Amino acid sequence: MAATNELMIERGGQAGSAARRRANFAIFLGPAIVLTVLFFVIPVLIDIAVSFTDLSRSLRVTKFTTEQYAKIFQGDRRLPQVIGLTFVYVFGTLAIFNVTFGLILALTTTSINKVAGGFFRGVWLLPRMSPSVLYILLWLWAINPSELGLLNQILMQVLGLGKPLDLMTEAPIALIIISNGFIGASMGMIIFTAAIRGIPEHLFHAAAVDGAGVLAQIRFITLPALRWPISFVTIYQTLSLLVSFEYILLLTKGGPFYDTTVYALYVYRRAFESGQYGYGAALALFLIVIGVAVALLGWRFFDMERLLQRPRIEVH
Amino acid sequence: MLHWKTGKVALLAAVVLAGCSAAPIVAATRALAQNTVKLELWSRQDPSGPLRAGNVVKAAERLNKELAAEGSAKRVQVVVRESPAPGFDDDALQLLKVFGIGQGPDTFIAAHEWICAFQADGFVLKLDDYIARYPQHFSTIFPSLWESAKCPDGTYGVPQDAEARMFFYDKKLLRRAGYDDAFIAAMPKRTLSGDLTMDELIDIAKQVVDKTKVQYGILHRPNKGPDYIMVFQSYGNGFVDPKTGHLLLERDKLAAAFGWFARGVKEGVIPANNTAMEFDALRKQFYTGNAVFWMYGIWDLGTYAFPTYGLPSDEAAFFADWGWIAAPGPKKGGAPGSLTHPIIYAVAARAADPELAVRLLGHASAADLNTDHAVTTTHLGIKPEQLEDPRYAKVWPLARATELLKITRFLPNNPQFGDLNGIVFRALQGVETGRLSAKDAADFVIDEATASLKDVIVK
Repeated sequence: MAATNELMIERGGQAGSAARRRANFAIFLGPAIVLTVLFFVIPVLIDIAVSFTDLSRSLRVTKFTTEQYAKIFQGDRRLPQVIGLTFVYVFGTLAIFNVTFGLILALTTTSINKVAGGFFRGVWLLPRMSPSVLYILLWLWAINPSELGLLNQILMQVLGLGKPLDLMTEAPIALIIISNGFIGASMGMIIFTAAIRGIPEHLFHAAAVDGAGVLAQIRFITLPALRWPISFVTIYQTLSLLVSFEYILLLTKGGPFYDTTVYALYVYRRAFESGQYGYGAALALFLIVIGVAVALLGWRFFDMERLLQRPRIEVH
Repeated sequence: MLHWKTGKVALLAAVVLAGCSAAPIVAATRALAQNTVKLELWSRQDPSGPLRAGNVVKAAERLNKELAAEGSAKRVQVVVRESPAPGFDDDALQLLKVFGIGQGPDTFIAAHEWICAFQADGFVLKLDDYIARYPQHFSTIFPSLWESAKCPDGTYGVPQDAEARMFFYDKKLLRRAGYDDAFIAAMPKRTLSGDLTMDELIDIAKQVVDKTKVQYGILHRPNKGPDYIMVFQSYGNGFVDPKTGHLLLERDKLAAAFGWFARGVKEGVIPANNTAMEFDALRKQFYTGNAVFWMYGIWDLGTYAFPTYGLPSDEAAFFADWGWIAAPGPKKGGAPGSLTHPIIYAVAARAADPELAVRLLGHASAADLNTDHAVTTTHLGIKPEQLEDPRYAKVWPLARATELLKITRFLPNNPQFGDLNGIVFRALQGVETGRLSAKDAADFVIDEATASLKDVIVK
């Protein structure tokens, strides 16, 4: 009972007056609500409105129509391929780089000398810190399909490959997964590193005394402690990968053909390259729906609610 | 009371006097402001034609002199608004948006095939009456070029230049592959007579690639544009139904054209990654002897080949080692073709002063100014009097390329052709990279076009 009262006081404030509560609400949540309404709710409403028009390249609306949705469900033969590719891209980047490789980087850089670990983490953060255009320019130079490309110089001069390799044509999907993954891995690396550093060190010493090797320590101490960070990185990066396409646009322009046109890029190409804004808006609406669904599913699947619960035992 | 009255009168007099003394200044300022008509020109930043906008700026001086001679108080000031669009298609799409929100320039420069897109939305001024009113500016422009500026109900642009597109070739590589001089010298005439075919072009390129260390047989532009449409036209694709003016897609003819590209890749002549390469890299491969054919346009000589890659600018020296042919016919006896892609000047429907804007573009189309553009960028002129200009005659590629105008074709002036070309390019990329067969590519173009464009006739 005492605890409940304490909680009510904490939540309601000492004064407990309605005016104070309203003021607190406005001060603390107001800016976030305003930003959410301005940059999420209103754009979604505009998107819905545009998707029911024939807005095209000269930005004129001549009629309100449902034909954009009819086109999605009946006429667009590219969509199944685009959706399939998006799944491969998101799942591949997430599974290989953003979570797994991020985790490997965090584990290795925390297990070596602190200075060296910091240095390597800094190196892996470079792609994220570089302007995206610069980062992709370096990639274009590295994978240049002629013998002048960095990769081909290594393959041909060091490893004796006879013909230059053209990753852009031969393996474009792998290329966009790797180029995005190198950036995505750094976020997981930082979050996992912080979490690993938060694990009390005596647990590792105790495990070592009990005869646990490095792998056993990782399995039984580190990984269980990383459950919430892994869940968070997975959900956050899934949503991020679903909607971001700038690196793909810069690197492959969605090609060759439609090979690297993920859903978000497809929306962009329809709307801004073909000038079909109404159709692009209808496609984008599905992206919003998919994003919300994925977020809710992830929330449920990873039981994120438990992460945000008040700890039952407060240690003072 | 008297004092008050005196003061009031004095004040009134002071105001009147002040008003009188300021009146001429105010009037003069107002007159100056009223007489200067600011005309904005929208132009793409384009190294292959900086004088397209530059000539309009120069034309303002001439027009202002003319206005002064007429005793008109009006003067024209040109403000150039340069768009950074990478190509004319992107530029046109951007300008359509600008017009769509009620803004935009008074005059603009565009690729001719977009003019009816502007016309369809009411963004461009119909020029027929003005053209008739100012014969001193427009009457001698080649009639064939006017066709490129026409929409179904009239003329909406003024041709600014023309050019010829062709297959350039490197004679040194042909010789090295075993072709004798007589064969090489006969190629242009054989093409024009219909003896040399599209397939033989691939055969020649293949022999060079097989017998020399040259990496590429035939290269073409890496992005959406007009050149590869020349191949489609060779295989009979006109893209527009002459009766209705609607887009026309013929499955067999599309498949035949895509088949040519597919065969080129299969024979190792056209690189599968042609559309992934950079423009400059492609150009460099050809001009530095690593490709036999380069499908492009005559202006490339003046813009890049002579100044950047050091090809001989002397006619005899050039033709000793280099040459060009038109796009061959699809089979023996078939019609060869070339493609010209005129750029046009146009006046916005909401121009501040349409009459002055038209006169301004008339002066910009003066033979001498147009020749400045033609000779510095090897684009073809628009008037017969330019042929007599010694400067024009001196730039031999212009005279030589003019021979191709007899068999030249245009891109269709359909408002949706720009969008269709995007679909064709995407399919071409699919064919070259092995994602689509020629037949699948034809089906893809038809599916995409019928789903996203209006009034498409399919045969």
